[in-house]
Amino acid sequence: MPDTTGVRTDKKTMRIRHRGRESQVPIYLGKLFRMFVYQNDWKVLPMAAVIAGLVAMVIRNIFFRTMEGTLMSAFALTCVAVWNGCFNSIQVICRERDVVKRDHRSGMHISSYVAAHLIYQAVLCLLQTAITVYVCLLVGVQFPENGLFTPWMTVDMGITLFLITFASDALALWVSSLAHTTTAAMTIMPFVLIFQLVFSGGMLTLPEWCGPLSDLTISKYGLTAVAAQADYNNRPPVIAWNSVVRMWNTKVGGTVTVDQILDFLSKDEIPAVHNLREETLRKSFTPRQIAGMIRESGEEGAQAFAMLMDALPEEAADKPFDLSFTVGDTVDYMAKEPVFQSEREKEVNMSMTVGEIVDALGRDKTREQIRQKTMEASYNAVYEYSRVNVAGCWASLVLITLVNAALTTITLEFIDRDKR
Amino acid sequence: MDYILILLFNTTTWLGCVLSALRYAGLWFILRKSGLKGWWALVPFARDYQIGRCAGREPEGRLTCILAFFSTAIQFTANALDHRTGQDEAISGVVLSLTILSLTLRLIRFIYQIRVWEGLTEVYGKNRTWVRLWTFFGAVPALLWGLSPKYVPQWKVEDIKNELAAVVRNGSAKELKDGLSVNLRERTAIEFFEKKYLLRNVHLSIAPGRMVLLLGGSGAGKTVFLDAVSGYEKADAEILLAGGNMYKQYKSMQYQVGYAPQKDTMRVKDTVYNTLMDAAALRLPKETSAEDRKKRVEEVMEIFGLTPTRTHLIEKLSGGQRKRVSIAMELISNPSLFILDEPDSGLDGVMARELMKELRRIADQGKIVIVITHTPDRVIDLFDDVIVLAKDRSRVGRLAFFGTIGEARTFFGKESMEDVVRTVNPKSVGGEERADEFITKFEEARYA
Repeated sequence: MPDTTGVRTDKKTMRIRHRGRESQVPIYLGKLFRMFVYQNDWKVLPMAAVIAGLVAMVIRNIFFRTMEGTLMSAFALTCVAVWNGCFNSIQVICRERDVVKRDHRSGMHISSYVAAHLIYQAVLCLLQTAITVYVCLLVGVQFPENGLFTPWMTVDMGITLFLITFASDALALWVSSLAHTTTAAMTIMPFVLIFQLVFSGGMLTLPEWCGPLSDLTISKYGLTAVAAQADYNNRPPVIAWNSVVRMWNTKVGGTVTVDQILDFLSKDEIPAVHNLREETLRKSFTPRQIAGMIRESGEEGAQAFAMLMDALPEEAADKPFDLSFTVGDTVDYMAKEPVFQSEREKEVNMSMTVGEIVDALGRDKTREQIRQKTMEASYNAVYEYSRVNVAGCWASLVLITLVNAALTTITLEFIDRDKR
Repeated sequence: MDYILILLFNTTTWLGCVLSALRYAGLWFILRKSGLKGWWALVPFARDYQIGRCAGREPEGRLTCILAFFSTAIQFTANALDHRTGQDEAISGVVLSLTILSLTLRLIRFIYQIRVWEGLTEVYGKNRTWVRLWTFFGAVPALLWGLSPKYVPQWKVEDIKNELAAVVRNGSAKELKDGLSVNLRERTAIEFFEKKYLLRNVHLSIAPGRMVLLLGGSGAGKTVFLDAVSGYEKADAEILLAGGNMYKQYKSMQYQVGYAPQKDTMRVKDTVYNTLMDAAALRLPKETSAEDRKKRVEEVMEIFGLTPTRTHLIEKLSGGQRKRVSIAMELISNPSLFILDEPDSGLDGVMARELMKELRRIADQGKIVIVITHTPDRVIDLFDDVIVLAKDRSRVGRLAFFGTIGEARTFFGKESMEDVVRTVNPKSVGGEERADEFITKFEEARYA
């Protein structure tokens, strides 16, 4: 029997003192690390590597390169972190609920138990994050050199991924403390995951009223931090141009007025139009044909000119001669001449391929313009590349973690009230 | 076409109202047949609970009542918001969410209501086809069962509530200097705003070194009693252990009570030694040195013959060895009161006896050992005293006997302890239903 005669007692109450909250933490911490080895909890580490590998293979050519690719990659990495975090701890409390009840009855402090879990899970999340970043580098994801906070982007990104993983871990810990069985926990988990992914607001445009719900998600802050660190707003967008290229041979048709055509062909500043206007047109006419056209115009003096032509000898009247003029001259002439005014409202059917239109507008300039416009339209102040923005997201993730840890503790304090 | 639809809608609405009215009328008589007030059928939400009671499915009835209330309240809120705010997108989202939530609750309620109908069908001794009728055409069976004298419930709510319970006499147990004194007046629980007695009037004293058998049928309150005695769940009681008040000094005295639960609740992937070392770290005083802790663990392993298995994972142990580890965890703190809930469950006769012998040795060291077991006869020679708990007519756990084994045999006129349990058990579980007789007899003999 242990000799308790030499045991110090509380001076006021003369009670034998047992381990307090802080000194109970190492007991459970040691137990959890043993479970890591014996209960195959280590399996989450290779699982993290496999998931990171699969995602990295998909994102390696788009992350940090294009605007859309960066956002999609940020979302994918956030999903990986949320997934890892949730599955680390979703079963850890509910699978040993009876043991927790028994230990609580024997003097275990719930706060010590939860603290031990949080420390243990933090180590696990840290390892998973390191694995994820390492696998990404291994697969060929090109991280920029400098981060916002440290000289290494990988470290900055690692901190974000760790915080997402840990916050998700704490959330799943709470779910695990609510659920009485592992089956119940695994039933709740998909709802939690779907809520996190849908309400992150990254991939789906959420209605305004979903804002408060979105603010509660880990994925929103995680995605924002990753996208901001990856400088989403300054990455070139490519989706719009790629869509144009995909439709290169697609014919587009429609009716345009002569006026619109003339207006377009008058724009000398468009390189393609300029080149077109410089082109020289040559056509052969006989004096008789010219006389016929003048007669048809009905202009003053035309009759006299026609008679002059008629007076020419046969050979001379039918001898062709070349007229030379540029497209630009023709367009300008048509635009100015009153004789064409009545024709200007006339509609003409046109059919061109997208490629022909783009080439007509100038391929490089059009591409640049599309990029510029898409960049302006896709600019999102939420993903602003700044320390304040990222630090805000980190703070939110830490807050979510703390709230979930507190909820876990409160929930477990009622564990004795389980149906008996 | 619009007129036809409106007419159809109105007809359906009116038909629904008429069918509901008929159903409530039928339920009025059903409630009365079960001994309850008929007008409960007209009280929204509460009628669900009362029907649940008639069906012997009180928890389900309670849940359907709660679900009905919340689904209606939520839907009402959604409708109010919808009318007031018009086209506001944010509010529309909230309305939609509330409507979905309300529908979900209604669906859950529907499922639980089926369980209630099943219960009612059992109470009326009818086959399960009636459950479908109740579910989809509730008015028909409600009227039929309510009005026809052919349909009679086999069991009434008033049977439980209004019959006189066995005589309750106030008494008190003798206070022992080193032993355990239990003066439990009542242990109640509030269920759905209703106070329920779980245990009443249990007074007894146990001297140190006694090994006590705790007997009682299912639901007699054995676990409730032990939880109250150990201070885990407080009752209206005074529990004195070695002079200390268990309730007033629970924080310090909880380590004087060892409670080995029925299930082997341990982390099965841990080794025997580590499990016991952790138990020692948690249960022994803070200032106990690491060396003393190890020494104590070695001692306990030796007592229970666990030394050869010290490095084994718990999951690799046999059922008997697991039980030993589970009990050893509690013995580490050297408690003066040792409570074991069915330590021999799942063990064969030889192993169970060996385990009980070990418990006897622990009792012989001056400790109080209280054991619940459902197979007492094979080890009865190892026990000193027996506590018999039984449910009286009002379904409250009561003390039917406390004394030595020999006295128990005389008191009940039975040789076997299993027969004693059968004597006080209700007929529905194959017993003689003589609990009230012995409760009264014991109290009269004791407090005469």
